[in-house]
Amino acid sequence: MSASPRRRLTIAKAMSEALAHEMARDPRVLVMGEDIARLGGVFGTTQGLLARFGPERVRDTPISETAFIGAAVGLAAAGMKPVVELMFVDFFGVCMDSIYNLAAKQSYFSGGHVTCPLVLMTSVGGGYGDGGQHSQCLYATFAHLPGMKVVIPSSSHDAKGLLLAAIRDPNPVVFMYHKALQGMGWLGTIPRSITHVPEEDFVVPIGKAAVVREGDDVTLVGWGVGVHHALDSAEMLAAEGIGAEVLDLRTLAPLDRESILRSVRKTGRLVVIDDDYRSCGVAAEVIASVCETRDLVLHAAPSRVTFPDVPIPFAPEMERPLLPDAGKVVSATRAQF
Amino acid sequence: MTDVEIPAEIVDEGAEGAISVWLFRDGETVVAGDVLAEVMNEKAAAELVAPASGRLTILVQAESPVRRGQVVARID
Repeated sequence: MSASPRRRLTIAKAMSEALAHEMARDPRVLVMGEDIARLGGVFGTTQGLLARFGPERVRDTPISETAFIGAAVGLAAAGMKPVVELMFVDFFGVCMDSIYNLAAKQSYFSGGHVTCPLVLMTSVGGGYGDGGQHSQCLYATFAHLPGMKVVIPSSSHDAKGLLLAAIRDPNPVVFMYHKALQGMGWLGTIPRSITHVPEEDFVVPIGKAAVVREGDDVTLVGWGVGVHHALDSAEMLAAEGIGAEVLDLRTLAPLDRESILRSVRKTGRLVVIDDDYRSCGVAAEVIASVCETRDLVLHAAPSRVTFPDVPIPFAPEMERPLLPDAGKVVSATRAQF
Repeated sequence: MTDVEIPAEIVDEGAEGAISVWLFRDGETVVAGDVLAEVMNEKAAAELVAPASGRLTILVQAESPVRRGQVVARID
């Protein structure tokens, strides 16, 4: 037990701890993916698991997402609880049939008789010059498809709690983790994402957003790294006398519309931060959900701070200006007053 | 005042490691036994533990190379 609030873990360590915790508790849980066993995950998500649980439950796979994610969907149908890592969300294309035609629909097609307790862990986000096929977010691509839940933590505390909730969910959960928060030195890490993580068992419920800063004048909605842009901009806005409330969605599907509406009813203004492509994104869905609520009065038209509708450039000097940041959130907010 | 050194068991003699991430921020109060940082050595990650309690002053930033015995922080 750790009563002390100073057990600081990176998101990478918190994820590894959640996996170890659940593997020890439930013999049906196993982990597969590229470089997840001997290396402990390119993003550090599976550290120490091979030594503790052995190669039968912790498997390095060939570079064939089609094969190992397909295998995982079958394992889940047969009663196991596989956690698979798709190292970069960008490579979903080769295994999407297994994900959205098999895993996502299994429970519906079988009348609820066969569930698919699969967790797909995948890294998202750019900002470190890794090119257009290693830097995408694709939140909306996954959140659009019914039958799958999609979660993304902004802190190590939520990473452990959401991953435990994801593994225990009877249906497929896509667990996204943002590279800018992962705690791997080579990616840089926003220090605020490194938080106290209880050693004991706890879950962060799927489908529940959290107010991470209270304010009365504007609601800033973010998730993953966007929460940190929102918190940075809230600090800057406070100096101008604008009280920003920051809402961390934590789950993208199902969307916690109740929490979004509760906050926007109070503030009357909305800015959404989304580092995925602009059109048809989660930000658009959040704004639409607010705008279609009849009895809700807005003081200004809502806005979104997003990545534009272009493939992500490789050159850092071209990529960086396109990404959302706190300055852009402040500008978008000011324009509403 | 206590120096926080890279202990012998986490970086080999003559080898170079790197602080991958500080888990506490400059100026924060730490307690002896807190894990202060993760240190990469070759391919393994090791933990740097606070030898004393007090206010942390970071002397070597994350992503910087470190050697065995090097003072990377101070606790006052």
